[in-house]
Amino acid sequence: MAFVEVVRRSMRPEEWTDLRYAWIKRSLVSRQHEITDLEIRDAVQTGENEYEYLSDYRSLRKGEMYFTPDGTVFIRGTATIPEDFRGGPVWFTLHTAAEMMVKINGRYAGGIDPNRDRIRLDPWLEEGKWTFTIEIEGYNRSKPDDERNPDSMHLRGCRQIFDGAYVALINEDLQDLYYDLTLLLDIAKSSHFDEDYRQFLNRELDQALNRIDFDTFEGAGEAVQYIEEHIYQNQDFHSSGNVALVGHSHLDIAYYWRRIHVVQKNARTILIQMRLMDQSPEFRYAHTQPYTYELLEKYYPELFAELREKIKKGQFEPVGAMYVEPDCNIPCAESLIRQCLYGQHYYRKTFGITVDNAWLPDVFGNSWILPQILKKSGVDYFVSNKMSTWNDTNRFPHNNFLWKGIDGSQVYACVPPTHFITWNMPSQIQENWDAYQDKETGGQTLSMFGYGDGGSGVTEEMLELMKRFDKLSIMPRTEHMRADEFLHRNLKDNRQLETWDGELYLEMHRGTFTTKSDLKAANRRLEFKLRNAELLWTLRMREGREYPKEELRDCCKKFLLNQFHDILPGSHINPVYQDAMQDYGELESRLDALLDEGGERFFNTLNQRRGETAFIPWAEGPVTRKGVRGYYTNPEMDALSGKTLCWDGDTDPSWLHMEGLRVETPVYRIRFGADGSIESLFDKRMDREWTDGNFNKLHLYQDTPGMYDAWDILPNYKDVEYAFAVEEGLHFTYGDGQVAEFTARLRTPKEKSAWQMIIRLFRDSPAIEVEHIVDWDEKHRMVKAEFACNVLSRELVCDTSAGYIKRENHRNTSWQKARFEVCHHKWCDFAEKSGGIAIINEGKYGLGVEEKGMSLSLIRSNIRPDIMSDIGHHDFCYVILPHRGDAVEAGINRKAYSYNVPLVRTAVESPDLDFGPLYLQAAKLSENGKYVVFRLSEQDGQRGTVKLPLKGYLMNMLEDVEGEEAMERISYKPFEILTVGVPVEGYLRR
Amino acid sequence: MVHFMKEYICNKIAPRIRGDGGWVEFVSYEDGQLELVFRGECSKCIILDRCLDWICQEVKRDLDEDITIKPLRVKPFFWDN
Repeated sequence: MAFVEVVRRSMRPEEWTDLRYAWIKRSLVSRQHEITDLEIRDAVQTGENEYEYLSDYRSLRKGEMYFTPDGTVFIRGTATIPEDFRGGPVWFTLHTAAEMMVKINGRYAGGIDPNRDRIRLDPWLEEGKWTFTIEIEGYNRSKPDDERNPDSMHLRGCRQIFDGAYVALINEDLQDLYYDLTLLLDIAKSSHFDEDYRQFLNRELDQALNRIDFDTFEGAGEAVQYIEEHIYQNQDFHSSGNVALVGHSHLDIAYYWRRIHVVQKNARTILIQMRLMDQSPEFRYAHTQPYTYELLEKYYPELFAELREKIKKGQFEPVGAMYVEPDCNIPCAESLIRQCLYGQHYYRKTFGITVDNAWLPDVFGNSWILPQILKKSGVDYFVSNKMSTWNDTNRFPHNNFLWKGIDGSQVYACVPPTHFITWNMPSQIQENWDAYQDKETGGQTLSMFGYGDGGSGVTEEMLELMKRFDKLSIMPRTEHMRADEFLHRNLKDNRQLETWDGELYLEMHRGTFTTKSDLKAANRRLEFKLRNAELLWTLRMREGREYPKEELRDCCKKFLLNQFHDILPGSHINPVYQDAMQDYGELESRLDALLDEGGERFFNTLNQRRGETAFIPWAEGPVTRKGVRGYYTNPEMDALSGKTLCWDGDTDPSWLHMEGLRVETPVYRIRFGADGSIESLFDKRMDREWTDGNFNKLHLYQDTPGMYDAWDILPNYKDVEYAFAVEEGLHFTYGDGQVAEFTARLRTPKEKSAWQMIIRLFRDSPAIEVEHIVDWDEKHRMVKAEFACNVLSRELVCDTSAGYIKRENHRNTSWQKARFEVCHHKWCDFAEKSGGIAIINEGKYGLGVEEKGMSLSLIRSNIRPDIMSDIGHHDFCYVILPHRGDAVEAGINRKAYSYNVPLVRTAVESPDLDFGPLYLQAAKLSENGKYVVFRLSEQDGQRGTVKLPLKGYLMNMLEDVEGEEAMERISYKPFEILTVGVPVEGYLRR
Repeated sequence: MVHFMKEYICNKIAPRIRGDGGWVEFVSYEDGQLELVFRGECSKCIILDRCLDWICQEVKRDLDEDITIKPLRVKPFFWDN
């Protein structure tokens, strides 16, 4: 007899329960009175709390369309509470997918958004008056979401139908039952819980609901009583676990919305959380990013005053020492230090607190340089979620642990086992406990709850569920607490914690090192312009000129803002990119005005001698580099010194010998390919060949990572490759006494993109500079430059901006396989003991780890979230630098600084500021104006002492003096960053 | 009028659409029929019709043209199923 599958078509008991639950959910409002006296006005936001109004007020009726694309609406009206509604809690209800701040009688009563549709009215009524005014600011700027409340999904869209606004009464009995059912049905449906218990729940919930007359909802109280007696009091089923619940809302400062819109998103989120605290005084909520507090203070002083009080009471908890939650791969050490400096100084000035945690739930991996920076910025605790929940290959082995940094500094670290956005459901809490890997050593596990990405946060429902958790023996023990309470209680002085020594590499989002290459290039360029501007003005102070403290601080903060983890990584909609580029353009102008004073005298801002061939901009120069005319020369400048430079006029390229694509210089014998690749690079100095396959070879790959288009590069990206067409083969185009240029013109298939490669060889330097001038118009393509080196090594050495990190280039284990694309800073190096090859870049961060060396990720072209990502003109350079010895012996780091830090046209003079082998990472006037701060960074992995040129005090990175006596000498450890403050008077006298 | 319509879509409508993660491109305008390509978030929007109505209203108000819109949705491959 043939097998016949039995398909059940009749309703299951669980479905019957679900149906009744849905009836209850939509019947919570027992009575409602429509508010008909409403008017609406359309606007488009043009700046922070600035609007272009598109219409006057007009009436707004239920069923009408409201909101326009990119629009804001202002709604106003009056209403009266019906007589028979008076005497108890009365609610204002409005169901919408938009985000609204609501004022009742001129005061902020609460927020409405896709996750909550009601606000208590009665606390805002005037004594003895039942008529009230309503003012709503609504903005329809929601993420097209995968994590938000599914109930609101059907309402999404730029244009919505107004569902009506009401004065309403809630059926309290039914609401209690609704919360019970929400909690228990979540357990009943979750495989994280014991199957027997779930069967028990299904049976008992059916029994409870049988007590209700679903025509009148009489019997709801009996059902609640039944659940109390038969489910909550049942002790037959048990679980283990101990989970700390911390209320939080992740707020992206820009993402699917522009930065200007976060002014309201932030205010709405804070307002909602404060109103929950009014209802439930025991509720605690953690809010990050000092920048968001600044915004509230500036634009909503009334709410800010309230916030201060709630912070004093301990209900509202500022967390996160960094000014914003920056990307933690691409910013350099000094940028990360400034994130802490300006964040902590704001918290100190405004609330009198120094926050001891870094709260970075959503960042895409964390650089190995962070622990030292955090530790020296008053931060002992680090929290970041992604490695546990988003890694695509390996399970990160810890949740509560010690993180050891590149210099040996340690911070307490928490990588919570689950996502930073949860809605406090039992299944999410149980999942957290199940996934927690440090049960024996780490104490409690951390579960954050609250809607997020665009703010919103905790809901009344989440708090109501939490009140019931203790009644359920099947759930892990839970405890609602502040973030700092969790960190201090479980991590502080916990000697059992295990240690992770290394970067916190995220095995996902590897494309963010490369996406939107303009942002990355501007970031690098401006990091050094900020450095140069601060340093030069500390020198100009000695000439009696006033240090432009406010201007420099303002520039720095605006720059830090654009390092936010959905801005700099490129994971945002097109208007966010436009905003960032506008900011970068403005910053560039402001910093250039602070830097360049004209004249013929150039200043070397590096505290190292410059001996490398450099490009000097000069309008009459014979060479064009990145669209600027100039010339190449060997400036031969001492550290922190000035010199008049001019082109020597030597036009004789006789140092160069050419025969077709074979070229000989004083350093090399080279055989080029027509496409600009280097088929052979024979080093005459070292008598060796450097290439072993594709070298300086461009590869155009299919790049289709799927939904996370801007974020990801998949490990199979090499599977499909397209050939460049050589439109004009490499040929000699210019030569003088210093430099020779060779140019090739390439096209991508179907001639969509034009790619020009200029290779520069130098008479006096082993450096080979490659410039790429690209008109890019591709979708789902990525270009890499491959460097297959004739070098036997198992590790790639990569700059972190504050020391180097070694990455294995073999693929022995899944950990190395997963690190096929990594973030590096100015250089990477692949070397044997006797020599190797460095690639020094000017703003590229993505690096492929290859068996024979590396591939530099040049450009991508994804379409989500920004369909125009990277399309347009690009011009970028890198240097190929073969060398003797390893990267340290060859001074690659110093050469990379010389390449990245341009000479500045100014006649300033410097005193003797010899800090030995330490890199002068920053020189600035301290925030309190009393010290000149010198930040010194050991970047070669060496230990030693150095005599300071000026007596100074050791400081932490917040510019607090740490020693009582001024130091004449300081000791340093490998990769240590030291801060020395020299009193201004002493500095000026010297 | 084709030129005006194209400019209007590019300069007035498109920036608004981009603000919500969408993307619109002008294709043609002939006999009162405006053909537009919708990409990005618009390509999978379940209530795009409402947005089309809004564009018609804006065009009527600013250009005094009565139009119908023929939308062409271009979904990225990862949404195309």
